[in-house]
Amino acid sequence: KMAAAAWRALRAARPVAVPQRGLADPAGPPSARRLREVDEAAPVFQYVGKAAKRKDRVFVWGFCYSGALGVPSFVRPDAGWKKPRRIQATPYRLETDGKITSAACGYGFTLLSSDTTDITKVWGMGLNKDSQLGFQRSIRDRTKGYEYVLEPSPIPLPLEKPQKTRVLQVSCGRAHSLILTDSEGVFTMGNNSYGQCGRKVVEDEVYSESHLIHQLNDFDSRVVQVVCGQDHSLFRTKKGAVFACGWGADGQTGLGHYNITSVPTKLGGDIAGVNIIQVSSYGDCCLAVSDEGDLFGWGNSEYLQLASVTETTQVNVPRHLPFKIGKIKEAACGGTGNIVLTEEGSVFVWGYGILGKGPILTETAVPEMIPQSLFGWSDFSPDVRVTRVRCGLSHFAALTNRGELFVWGKNLRGCLGIGRMEDQYFPWRVTIPGEVVDVACGVDHMVSMVKSFI
Amino acid sequence: LNAAPARPPRSRIRFLPAESAGPPELVAVRVPVLAEHRLVRGPRFTQLKIGAGHRLDVKASGVFVLGVGHGNKLLTHLYNCHLTKVYTVSGEFGKATEDFSDTGKLIEKTTFDHISREKLERILAVIQGTNHKALLMYVHSNIDMKTQEAYELAVKGLIRPMGKSPPIITAIRCLQFALPQFQLEIHCLHETQQYLRKVVHEIGLELKSSAVCTQVRRTRDGVFTLEDALLRTQWNLQSVQKAILDCQLKVKNELEKTLG
Repeated sequence: KMAAAAWRALRAARPVAVPQRGLADPAGPPSARRLREVDEAAPVFQYVGKAAKRKDRVFVWGFCYSGALGVPSFVRPDAGWKKPRRIQATPYRLETDGKITSAACGYGFTLLSSDTTDITKVWGMGLNKDSQLGFQRSIRDRTKGYEYVLEPSPIPLPLEKPQKTRVLQVSCGRAHSLILTDSEGVFTMGNNSYGQCGRKVVEDEVYSESHLIHQLNDFDSRVVQVVCGQDHSLFRTKKGAVFACGWGADGQTGLGHYNITSVPTKLGGDIAGVNIIQVSSYGDCCLAVSDEGDLFGWGNSEYLQLASVTETTQVNVPRHLPFKIGKIKEAACGGTGNIVLTEEGSVFVWGYGILGKGPILTETAVPEMIPQSLFGWSDFSPDVRVTRVRCGLSHFAALTNRGELFVWGKNLRGCLGIGRMEDQYFPWRVTIPGEVVDVACGVDHMVSMVKSFI
Repeated sequence: LNAAPARPPRSRIRFLPAESAGPPELVAVRVPVLAEHRLVRGPRFTQLKIGAGHRLDVKASGVFVLGVGHGNKLLTHLYNCHLTKVYTVSGEFGKATEDFSDTGKLIEKTTFDHISREKLERILAVIQGTNHKALLMYVHSNIDMKTQEAYELAVKGLIRPMGKSPPIITAIRCLQFALPQFQLEIHCLHETQQYLRKVVHEIGLELKSSAVCTQVRRTRDGVFTLEDALLRTQWNLQSVQKAILDCQLKVKNELEKTLG
């Protein structure tokens, strides 16, 4: 009995541990007060400042083996087990040194230019067998030049004032290129077998590894646009005149004969006295737009490009094309098809090939309109307009005011950039992470200048 | 419903023997059919079949379509029409949470003073463009892109996927913009409200900030708009009957137009 009493006393003295619920919070949705506390205690991150500028980017896609995309790892992979990439089917970002303002795609090569006052203004990549990218000195052998340039390499221009002159525009043809500056005229380089570089044709001239860059300064006024056709060059001056030189067997020089011209000569015909505001060419056909919205064409017409005014397949004098489609703002010429953009934002195509109105329409001599709904226009967004049209050799590109890029045509070696290898018979969006500002179309590759969203 | 005046009771003619002195005569008497009497059968309506249309979240609000009785069959037909729904989605910049809504667990807070209405509209244009491309790709997945048929469909622009598909936004635009809040109108197909909250979150990420969704409100579901919807105070028999009668014609026209 005493032992039991002693046990009871001990039990009373020892504090009994009662299970507490103080360590863990009760479960359930957090109360408003708790949410506010957490909210106030959290740090604020800043990813972009208030005055952040939109970044300029360059995206390339198409055939890689020529090096025209400017990414060396496509042709010479950096790891031994990787295989070279033949085609880049979707847009790939190209790292550039400065802001690229003008780009041009030739037949297997690309030129990028920036309007800076730095020493390096133009970069070139791709095929250089005719020195269309100037002389690119080889590192291994200082006397030889590269035949293929795999990454954007600076092109040294013989400028008088290299720190004042700006490069406004570049243009590339089959094997020659033109660089337009603001105060020192036009620089030409590359193949000159037909006088397309604007200098006298030298017999048996070797064009590869040539240091020669010719300067053209003798025009009636300042040159404001240069355009390269396949083997000819067109120059548009401030006064609205057009000069041409190069191969003329299809009449693409528009000088009234079918011979080659080695000195830029002014064009006459229907554009004599007309103020031309835009010229375009890529193959052997040429188009010009006047300030009043009229369209003039000359050159090859085998694919019905000029069949609306003449039956001849080679037109060597500029002819007015009296299409009743409205005032024309911009025109672009491809190898077999042409495209124009009117002031109201309608897009018209004609010629031969995949024109963009389905697989049935393969040739027409009269312009056919591409419906606006294919460019993203709808009742919900009625203010979508096409702002620019461009042409490659067998494909077309259109830019809208929303910054979207639409392409269609023959998908030669993935040049459309839509991720598929099939031809595209109507305009299709290219997915690019940015707002597309300008695009340059080549034979089998394309380059686009893009502004980032933020 | 049970208190409403019922159909007048049916009656039938029975030949009943009449009270007469001589040989029994049969007299035609009209008697009510007792088998249909309320005291025999019980109340006419003991339960109603009510089906729900497209789902609406707990956190969302707006038009919610219900079908009563025969209307359930119409619901199935309306589902097969694949009509677009319109939502008003409100968001707030500056926060990112786990479940993309403002009541979730906070993950990150960011600055948003660099965002302007123009930048937001640029992002919305891109979203609309990529969704339009996805719509075309989906609809053309069983048609060869190289045919004239595919071209005609793309030109028409009013195509809709007539089967199961991932969520597609057919149109999106900004209604209001007052930092940090903004309001969007989204026309979509085959979506869930959580998907729309995720879209708001992704818009925040694209703008190099973060956003949470504060409100999802369905303003149109196919042919049913806010005007047809009954408020909480109107959930009574008369309003429901009136609403069903008003929508009958609209639904019939839409079904005929789409399903033929």
